[in-house]
Amino acid sequence: MEQNDRLQRLETFEAEALGFSGQLFRVALRVCRDRERAEDLVQETYLQAWRSFHRFETGTNLRAWLYKILFNVYHSGIRRERLELAPIEETIAETIAYDPPTPQHLTDEEVLIALERIPRDFQVPVVLADVDELSYREIADALQVPLGTVMSRLHRGRKLLRMELANYARNAGYQIAN
Amino acid sequence: MVMDCQNFKELLDSYLCGELAVETNHTMLCHAERCCSCRSEMAARRQLRESLRRVCSREKMSDQAMENLRTRLRSEAGLGAGQSRSGDEVGRRSWFAGLFKMRFLMPAAVVAALTLLIAAAWSLYVLRREDPSNQQKISRLSSEQIEALELSGSLISESVGDHRTCAAHFVDATGPAEMPDSIRKYDSACVRLDKIAAEGAAGLLLRSAHICGFGERKFAHLVYTRDRQLISLLVTARDSQALKSGRVPPFDGLALGTQRFTSDHLALGAYQTIKRIILVVSDLPENENTALTERLAKPVAEHLRSAEAELEPEKRVGRLNLRED
Repeated sequence: MEQNDRLQRLETFEAEALGFSGQLFRVALRVCRDRERAEDLVQETYLQAWRSFHRFETGTNLRAWLYKILFNVYHSGIRRERLELAPIEETIAETIAYDPPTPQHLTDEEVLIALERIPRDFQVPVVLADVDELSYREIADALQVPLGTVMSRLHRGRKLLRMELANYARNAGYQIAN
Repeated sequence: MVMDCQNFKELLDSYLCGELAVETNHTMLCHAERCCSCRSEMAARRQLRESLRRVCSREKMSDQAMENLRTRLRSEAGLGAGQSRSGDEVGRRSWFAGLFKMRFLMPAAVVAALTLLIAAAWSLYVLRREDPSNQQKISRLSSEQIEALELSGSLISESVGDHRTCAAHFVDATGPAEMPDSIRKYDSACVRLDKIAAEGAAGLLLRSAHICGFGERKFAHLVYTRDRQLISLLVTARDSQALKSGRVPPFDGLALGTQRFTSDHLALGAYQTIKRIILVVSDLPENENTALTERLAKPVAEHLRSAEAELEPEKRVGRLNLRED
């Protein structure tokens, strides 16, 4: 009987949570920059989530909860591996005073290349906000940074993306509006 | 606030995310209408957002990784890998699993059944309504024809803008609403618009029926709510500004079906007749909005189509005064 309960709980968990695996994976891919590591990160996230599923309040935001676990797992993994993120914010802030017009008619591949070129501290909020449509509050909770930081990273991230694209377009001889 | 190009570009991302206040949205759209470079910047950023979504959404976990995940979850839960599918547990837990599956399958079955029912009712309705001799031939449109019928960015922004700025005022309006008689001056075919649309408006509360304008465009506007969600049904002229090609090719509209878009987080569904475009704009997810458009706008399209067919071609121009100044 106890096993039946466990099975039922697991099936409930799978039915409710596994649907977000695609969204979690695409964010994992942005932070890990490697498919295999991203898949490991998502697996680890789900295992952690399952372990604390009994603490999850039904009716609250499951997706936001999963994102939060994902970044927790990611950050604790980084500490273990002694990887460091370079302090990039200052250097970047100086380079983005100029906001060039956004080039048109770029291919999806070109957009992806540009996205991958921007530092992940900026890339991740852009994906969370503009692709997954998380609210600022949800992003702040998931990344465990203040709301103001989310807004400034998002603003700079979008600007950096446009700059990458403009540079790309200029080099490739694309016409830019204006 | 004075909206110059600098301000416009600073606010543009927030605008595209649907974060701005109604008044600011309006100011943004007014600026875009006047300023060609900001208009193209808006289009370029919108394209960029769409492209970003496409490239990110196509990334999927491999099947192998998903399978590994399930296996690991099962072992973490203290269950054998294949336990749920085989072994002597099956007999005991089958009713359990059956119940569980029912909970998830039932809604799907109900939706499927309802869809079939609606489809059947609709085809009966169309067959009954249309005299076979008068029945327009449904033909497959070529991609060039479909392209020629593509709605313009300005019509989409104007419809979304009108929904955002106008419909919001009526969220708490008390019904019953009725189309005012002044609609005759605007478009005589829209006189009973609220009654005609009522056919497909079950479950929706009509908050207002009126004529309004956004930018250069005028709309006959029905505002509905469902659980505090706003839904707009808009009827406007199918003029050269309404179509991307800038031309108005003649067509019966039947072959095209519902056109669907998402703009600034709002879903749009549209039908075209020879003279008019009927749009349903709401903050519902795109699929729900499309289903609603079928229900709400299709009877209106049918009505307008027959009204247009009744008019002689030469009288048609004289009697319809869709873009009154």
